[in-house]
Amino acid sequence: MKIKFNVDSRDYSLDVDGNTPLLWVLREQLNLTNTKFGCGVGECGACTVVMDNEAIRACSTSISSVNNKSISTIANKEDKDLKKLQSAWVEEDVAQCGYCQPGQIMNALALLKKNPQPSKEQITFSMNGNICRCGTYNKINQAIKKATKAI
Amino acid sequence: MERRNFLKTTSLASSAFVIGFYLPSKSKANEAKKETPGLAPNAFVKIDKDNKITFLMGQAEMGQGVYSTFAMCIAEELDVNWEEIEVEAGVPRVEYNHAWVPVMLTGGSSSVPVFQDRLRKIGAALNIMLKEAAAKKWQVRTYNVETKDSMLINKKSKETLKYGDLVEQLAAMQVPKDPKIKPLAECRLLGKPMKRHPKEAWAKVRGEADFGIDVRVPNLKYAALIHAPVFGAKVKSFDASAALKKPGILKVKQISTGIAIIAEQWYLAKEAIYDVKVIWDKGAFENVNSATLDKEYSALLKKDGNVMRKEGDSKKAFANAFKTIEAEFNFPFLAHAPMEPLNAVVHDQNGTAEVWSGGQLQSVYRDVTAQILGIKADKVTYHNTFLGGSFGRRASKNIDYVSDAAQIAKGEAWPVMTLWQREDDIKRGNYRPLYKNNAKMALDKEGKITAFDARVVGQSVVAGTAFSFLEKNGVDWAQWEGLSTHPYRIESHNLQANTPTSPIVVQWWRSVGFTQTGPMVEGMIGIAAHEAKADEVQYRLDMLTNPRHIKVLKEVARLANWDKREKEKDVGYGVSFVPSFGSIAAQIAKIRITGKDYKVEKVWCTVDCGFALNPLNVENQMISGINFALSAVKYSEITIENGAAVQNNFYDYVVGRNVDTPDIEVSIVNSSEKQIGGIGEVGTPPIFAAVANALLDATGKRFTNYPLKLA
Repeated sequence: MKIKFNVDSRDYSLDVDGNTPLLWVLREQLNLTNTKFGCGVGECGACTVVMDNEAIRACSTSISSVNNKSISTIANKEDKDLKKLQSAWVEEDVAQCGYCQPGQIMNALALLKKNPQPSKEQITFSMNGNICRCGTYNKINQAIKKATKAI
Repeated sequence: MERRNFLKTTSLASSAFVIGFYLPSKSKANEAKKETPGLAPNAFVKIDKDNKITFLMGQAEMGQGVYSTFAMCIAEELDVNWEEIEVEAGVPRVEYNHAWVPVMLTGGSSSVPVFQDRLRKIGAALNIMLKEAAAKKWQVRTYNVETKDSMLINKKSKETLKYGDLVEQLAAMQVPKDPKIKPLAECRLLGKPMKRHPKEAWAKVRGEADFGIDVRVPNLKYAALIHAPVFGAKVKSFDASAALKKPGILKVKQISTGIAIIAEQWYLAKEAIYDVKVIWDKGAFENVNSATLDKEYSALLKKDGNVMRKEGDSKKAFANAFKTIEAEFNFPFLAHAPMEPLNAVVHDQNGTAEVWSGGQLQSVYRDVTAQILGIKADKVTYHNTFLGGSFGRRASKNIDYVSDAAQIAKGEAWPVMTLWQREDDIKRGNYRPLYKNNAKMALDKEGKITAFDARVVGQSVVAGTAFSFLEKNGVDWAQWEGLSTHPYRIESHNLQANTPTSPIVVQWWRSVGFTQTGPMVEGMIGIAAHEAKADEVQYRLDMLTNPRHIKVLKEVARLANWDKREKEKDVGYGVSFVPSFGSIAAQIAKIRITGKDYKVEKVWCTVDCGFALNPLNVENQMISGINFALSAVKYSEITIENGAAVQNNFYDYVVGRNVDTPDIEVSIVNSSEKQIGGIGEVGTPPIFAAVANALLDATGKRFTNYPLKLA
């Protein structure tokens, strides 16, 4: 089917099987590899992007369901809240292998869009769908706290 | 040196397809060492005419922070602008070979201990050469030249030069053989808490860091795999006609480990898996499951095994014991499950080849690719990327994911990315071994341990690999390390091991043998202290002899306020102490029982790695090691049913998440600049028993079967 959608303020239109997950359209058809593949079943959060201020798992979202929608990825250079989160991530020295961090940050972005001053419990609960095998959770939570002060 | 001599290959046609890399003889190893030329700054530092300074890395960056710590080592002495330097992976060359084995290896928490001194000297040598070249140009004495932030300054005239201005002069100069380096106490970078290099950190938070999975080269095609449904199964026949009719499917081919589907996009290849009919010869392992393995291991546990440590008279000690404590310990197979699924791009270019992947054994990956393609190793260019986690998985013992990729790309016109599904990663093996152990301690009237007997049953990690020299008396390295070498003064020992085999490949998993010896030794000490009604910290202090050990354990007790810990209902505290990889770590865990579950609320950790070159990274690695281990303490296990792994993905191979994470406090003891130890794996071993001992404290019950469940 013909799909039109917007990624990080850029319009794309393509002809694609509507069942194709958004993740693989981003990574393999548009060569936007910033968004990562981790599990393919929406269990790890590595592929998280934001649509309508909600965190969605790109690996489990069909491209047909984003037709005529705008999505924001970790590569978005215009979202100021995202920039603040990324700065907080660098300042708190969060990333180790770094592979899950784009998903972690996008998940945190959706949290802060809805709740700019989350409690410690709200942060932990909201971030629970994103796995980090390096175990950087402690610093992820510190970075989110830091970003809430900056936003 | 014939590189292919390092490879031991069984038939490519066999579906077991195990390539262990090994050293044929000591003389070969010595030859390889002789080949390593001096300091070879060219292998590690590239200075361009435009003053772009690049540090080249032979070690793989998988999160452990080696790029930044190595960069600190060179930058400290070379005197460059920290923010401006570039750090990138070097293409394999002999200068990057490890000191233990003549191949490139990032493992065993050895990067800093093995390379730090040499890297500092390379920085110092280049700094001297730059000063001499500038002095010659300015016609002044060398001591009239100083360096600052990648610039040379003529102290007399105040003239300046960039390092890049002297590139041609450098090329013609001799490299000083043994330049002096600064004592660590005088360093401006080393010993200071430094964040990950900003270029790497920013690339990672923008999703711009290139992992193997992000490699995009012209005309790239993608492959997905159908792996054996039973360990050791072989393809009998397959029918791909339905798959080949689907759009985007280019080819379906058999390789030694299964069937590969090559497509225009990986998603299309993966979806076509269901359209290929494969008939498998499942082999004898089809009837194996966790219960039959347990039966086999239980029988071996009763049999005398190979001896790893025997001294004193433990029979007599047990006969005269005031009290004997005995426990069985069970540890499941564990997958590493790094966040980036395994992958490699191979481009067979008819006589030469190019490979892109993230690996901890880069030169071996290159050599294995060459062997599969039937060309010489020097015809293969290998590019290492960032590793999206590893924990030992990407030091693949049988080179599985790269040999899949090489076989798939062999003879094809396109470069092909072979990408495993998460399910392949969880189900295909290369696990931390399954262990079934028994331990027994004799206590005298005062509660002192007089004898320690134990038996370990588990598959060998090092047999048939380059590390088989770590076997002792037929006992696998991962069976004895941390057990026969435990730090306590005990008079009598009888420690043995039995080693079953199976088609399930086992290998190193962050902290290797310490994942079973740490929990067993420290769990037994915890139980003994409990039986002796002794204080867990003091009980250990009474048995330790090494002053560094004593200092670390006392420090963690201070950090946790151990003597004044608040005792509450349903709360327990547990201690654990494990020296590993040349460093020493002690941890205290506080847990809370919450109905049928428990939560690890707080962990205090003290580490002595000799001298912390980057204390912030040391802290990060302790946190990482603890959280990584906590997955295995509470949740993760691979079980076997009908000859296959039961678990598939993160919904049933459960790992620690944000809500499981305890508060973690770390303190660092610097005790010896001359004995710098490792850090990547050191935080992992102690937490297992710290939690078990805390559960014992809270409930009075022994916890020795991992993952530890309350009911």
